[in-house]
Amino acid sequence: MTADTGNVRLDDRLKSFLVVALALAFSVAFSAPAQVLDKYDVQLHGYATQGFLYSTQNNIYTTDSSDVSPRWTDAVVNIGAIPSAKIRVGAQVRYFLFGNYSNGVSLDWAQVDYRVNQHFGVRAGKVKTPSSLYNEVQDIDPAYIWSLLPPSVYPVSSRNSFLSHVGGVAYGNVQVGDGLGKLEYRAWGGRQKIGPSDGIFVIYRELGLDLPEGLRGGYFGGTLRWKTPISGLLVGAADTWKSDWQSKVVLINAALTGKETVRAFNLPNYFLSYSHGKFEAAAECTRVHPVILDAFPGLSPITIRVDTRAWYVLGSYKVTKKLGTGLYFSEQVDHAALLGNPARFSKDWALAARYDFNQYLYLKAEQHFIDGTAIVYDTELNPRGLKPDTRLTILKIGVSF
Amino acid sequence: MNGFRTLLFAVAGFLLHSTHGLSQVIVIANASVRSSSASKADLREVFSGTSSTLRDGTRVVPVFHRPGPVQDEFVATYLGKSDAAFRAAWRSLVFSGQANMPRSLDSDSAVVAYVARTPGSIGYIESKSSHESVKVLAVQ
Repeated sequence: MTADTGNVRLDDRLKSFLVVALALAFSVAFSAPAQVLDKYDVQLHGYATQGFLYSTQNNIYTTDSSDVSPRWTDAVVNIGAIPSAKIRVGAQVRYFLFGNYSNGVSLDWAQVDYRVNQHFGVRAGKVKTPSSLYNEVQDIDPAYIWSLLPPSVYPVSSRNSFLSHVGGVAYGNVQVGDGLGKLEYRAWGGRQKIGPSDGIFVIYRELGLDLPEGLRGGYFGGTLRWKTPISGLLVGAADTWKSDWQSKVVLINAALTGKETVRAFNLPNYFLSYSHGKFEAAAECTRVHPVILDAFPGLSPITIRVDTRAWYVLGSYKVTKKLGTGLYFSEQVDHAALLGNPARFSKDWALAARYDFNQYLYLKAEQHFIDGTAIVYDTELNPRGLKPDTRLTILKIGVSF
Repeated sequence: MNGFRTLLFAVAGFLLHSTHGLSQVIVIANASVRSSSASKADLREVFSGTSSTLRDGTRVVPVFHRPGPVQDEFVATYLGKSDAAFRAAWRSLVFSGQANMPRSLDSDSAVVAYVARTPGSIGYIESKSSHESVKVLAVQ
């Protein structure tokens, strides 16, 4: 408990330091003479999106989506500079609102990047975690056609907690040989924090458990991406190893406080992507199989086993310069859950379209046909119980600069 | 049948007319860049942010055009993308902390002036534009 409190203080101190550093960076950016900004290539970028969700059958993602919910807002400001040829510094802050998951400003990342050459570079600070095909960019809405990336592998409900960690990433690439393509490698390590408002804990609360301090712990991993000799084809794999994570847990109805331990486990990812002209395709699979122990004084320990296997396949096509369309199928199945229960799985067909009015403004529309209830639903918002399938329509407007 | 032929001629005529306005894009670099040539793969890597060197080890810094015909032709020819997809990919790099956005300049003359005064820089312009102050890289 002492060690955990120490970690809380360390995280809070680090966060305060980073926020102050970011405030200083912004004030310098806005007050510095133009030639200084030009010399260090100081850049300010940002984007904002507003989403609307409408569903039939069930209210989804802790929103009143059957009445059309506007509770999906992202706003991001990013500042970066290049003090020397090999060093970049930057930071990004975000306001994120999504259903009842989050409603506040947080630090996405704040880092120093030292790139020795194309074979080796390192980023340190709060950094994006390259643990899968899209993890580093899954929160960057202007970058892709989808409103929701395939939810089985990229659950928006716990998106923010898995995006980054405090620590470092080493990266680089090497030509495999003449005509054999290029190999990109990344290794990372540090500490990760899943905040108490993360969507993953909605499931906990459904089970009568609360983690008032969230979860935090150490983890490390590596990714290999092979840009094959076939133009546009990338094949890759990643693995993440998490140590034992411990936190305070409260049995809500009995007002009992205990300790939760998430046993060490690894998260493998395998993926490929292909692009050719206006066409893009990707597929990815992963397996999440933690064992969770909740111990309360005077009670037998509670053991929760999860064995979720998830995958998706997607394709998109740029119909015109301004209009793109896409289709994906995304599936997750918890093999540790009871057979026949719709909460054991989720199968999601999604049709998407994006229209770019100009280089700054765009509109997205997406239709989901979801079978099963394994993605997060809040029973308080579905008082008559969950129906086994959901139809979800999303409209999203975004602006970036 | 005659209507179909008329339609085919009309489409062919439109395509010929739409490509007639394009002229060749050339790749230029600051005099400090050692290479006198670059491969298509080099250009694809450098202008998509995955590499900062040419195959011979020369370190380069890319500079872009604002959206327009020159930009469209360059990204279509050397990156096989639309400008929208190209910029979306760069936004991914910027907002995930993996890169800073290269400068986007308004005109060929602005690109030439910037490349001429910035060591290591590499850009692209229409071949008919004036470019005495920079070197032209042969694309292999």
